[in-house]
Amino acid sequence: MAERSQQLALAEGLARQGQVQPAVEACYQALRLDESEALTHCLLADLMLTGDFYDEAISSAARAIEMDPSCSPAYLALGLAYDRRGGMWDQSILVWHELAEVEPDLVTAHVQLGEAFSAAAFDDEAIEAWRRALELDPAEARAMYNLAVAALKKEGMATALPGFRKAGELDPSQDDLFFSLAGICDDGNPAPDPAEVAPERQARLDAAGALAFEEDFFSAAELIRLILDENPEDPEALGLVAYLYLKQEAVNEAMACALRALSISTRTPTAVYCLGVAFSKRPGLSRNATRVFAALAKAVPKQPMPHVLYAESLLGLQRYAHAQQAYRTAIALDPTCVRARFGLAAVLMTEGRFAEAQWEIRRAAYYDTRRQGLFWRLYDVYAEGRA
Amino acid sequence: MADDAAAQLYQAFVSQDPAGAIAVVEASRHSGLEQAQLFDQLFAPAMSLLGGAWASGAIDEVTFTQAAVVAEQITSFVTPPAASKDTGVTVLIGSMHRDYHSIGKDVIGAALKEAGHRVVDLGVDVRPAEFLERVEETGSRLLIVAAEMTATARSVVRVREMLTSAGHEDVVMLVTGGPFAADVSLAKQVGANGVVRGVESSLKIVQKIVRDRLGGGT
Repeated sequence: MAERSQQLALAEGLARQGQVQPAVEACYQALRLDESEALTHCLLADLMLTGDFYDEAISSAARAIEMDPSCSPAYLALGLAYDRRGGMWDQSILVWHELAEVEPDLVTAHVQLGEAFSAAAFDDEAIEAWRRALELDPAEARAMYNLAVAALKKEGMATALPGFRKAGELDPSQDDLFFSLAGICDDGNPAPDPAEVAPERQARLDAAGALAFEEDFFSAAELIRLILDENPEDPEALGLVAYLYLKQEAVNEAMACALRALSISTRTPTAVYCLGVAFSKRPGLSRNATRVFAALAKAVPKQPMPHVLYAESLLGLQRYAHAQQAYRTAIALDPTCVRARFGLAAVLMTEGRFAEAQWEIRRAAYYDTRRQGLFWRLYDVYAEGRA
Repeated sequence: MADDAAAQLYQAFVSQDPAGAIAVVEASRHSGLEQAQLFDQLFAPAMSLLGGAWASGAIDEVTFTQAAVVAEQITSFVTPPAASKDTGVTVLIGSMHRDYHSIGKDVIGAALKEAGHRVVDLGVDVRPAEFLERVEETGSRLLIVAAEMTATARSVVRVREMLTSAGHEDVVMLVTGGPFAADVSLAKQVGANGVVRGVESSLKIVQKIVRDRLGGGT
């Protein structure tokens, strides 16, 4: 049956709104009308997963696959349910393998497959799967985090730490922190044409921020230049230009601008952020980075990312207990923070607490797929394809 | 004085004179500035001047970039060394015979190496006789034996017996792994001097042993 029933459409609508319980009830209603609808089983599996009912999620997802072996969102729900339930690595490996076959270009399938291999102690196969994921998408942060954890297991933290930082740079949450510090938010409108920006400081700064958000670094830099031509001691403009340099891997230029901004006003959080990132890119400056990120975490204590950056700088100083504390603070502020969960997993590994570390990685996987809206993406593509 | 040096360093940057920049760093060091202070008290102020000069238009974009390259070239002169100083302490580490778990051992070994200790990693599945052989070969008096299974953890006692029978009662033997973390009395039973519960614990314990029992070196 190609058409979705009205009852299923209702369940979908409720699920998309996050109304889990009514959505579950609607799914059961839909199943009473048509028990053979793979989409309903698959949706129910995802809802069960949301409610941490793993066995029910496994049963529903397996039923969906039974109804239609090409039902990709069901594989996702099944794999995540196996992983979060734990102790079912062989099944988990099979499911992620299947998903990678059904959707060969789905990067997350390869990342998950790697994590399942790793949990089952097939380390080489795991690394192979993560490399495949990075081939498909070089900006896949989670594959990079996993490779960093693999490096930690084999060669220790000193080797792993650059990997964590690299993964962190791929992770959009770090840029999100900068834009939040700069007061730049995505209002859905495109950045203005630089030629049409009013010749005023604030208009230029806002436009430069919007252009930086859209990664048009050169146009943003030109507007900043105009601000600095009028007032070379504008700390906010210097903080923003430091970010632009950082994004172009010009670390020393970024450091120079951030230091200048802070010499004018120490209350420039964007410059503090840029200085910390510049320091953390230099071997031997972990102590400086720690100092800077500690100040940033103190200045914006409700933001999770400064605590993560602080924790990473502490790892560089081999202060693992403090790093663990900072990671836990970040997770308490944002349980979906993938970077904090991977970092915490790494610290737990240094204490020999491997099971807890794996648990954190599984949590990170779950939140990462949620963040990407992967279930709904696969669900919509599958439903459309069927129609 | 420090301000003058920072201004000179800045000047060397914009003149694209790495040799001049190094000379400024060396002069500051001779005048009593410690290696650990060079970055904060010399390099950072010079970089701030550089940022200010670019912001005010005193130097153009090209000069700014070239100055940043010179700054890059001398960074290693002003930053503390990334690797810790050699402590001169040799630590032997290995997983017990019939134990193939390596992650905990590898992570601890790498951290001790990073902290400046001379780590000799014997690998996994190490027989007691091999531990003894390597103690005698390296002259190390500090040994970490890893075991992740109860059976292999219990058999660590054979390492202690072998060390004692060969007259190496003074060798400090630490143990690490799940069974020892779960039951500390097991460590005593096998003749261990202490339990390492992960990386940070290993760093602290080894540092304490070196200070208290080995008199600062192996």
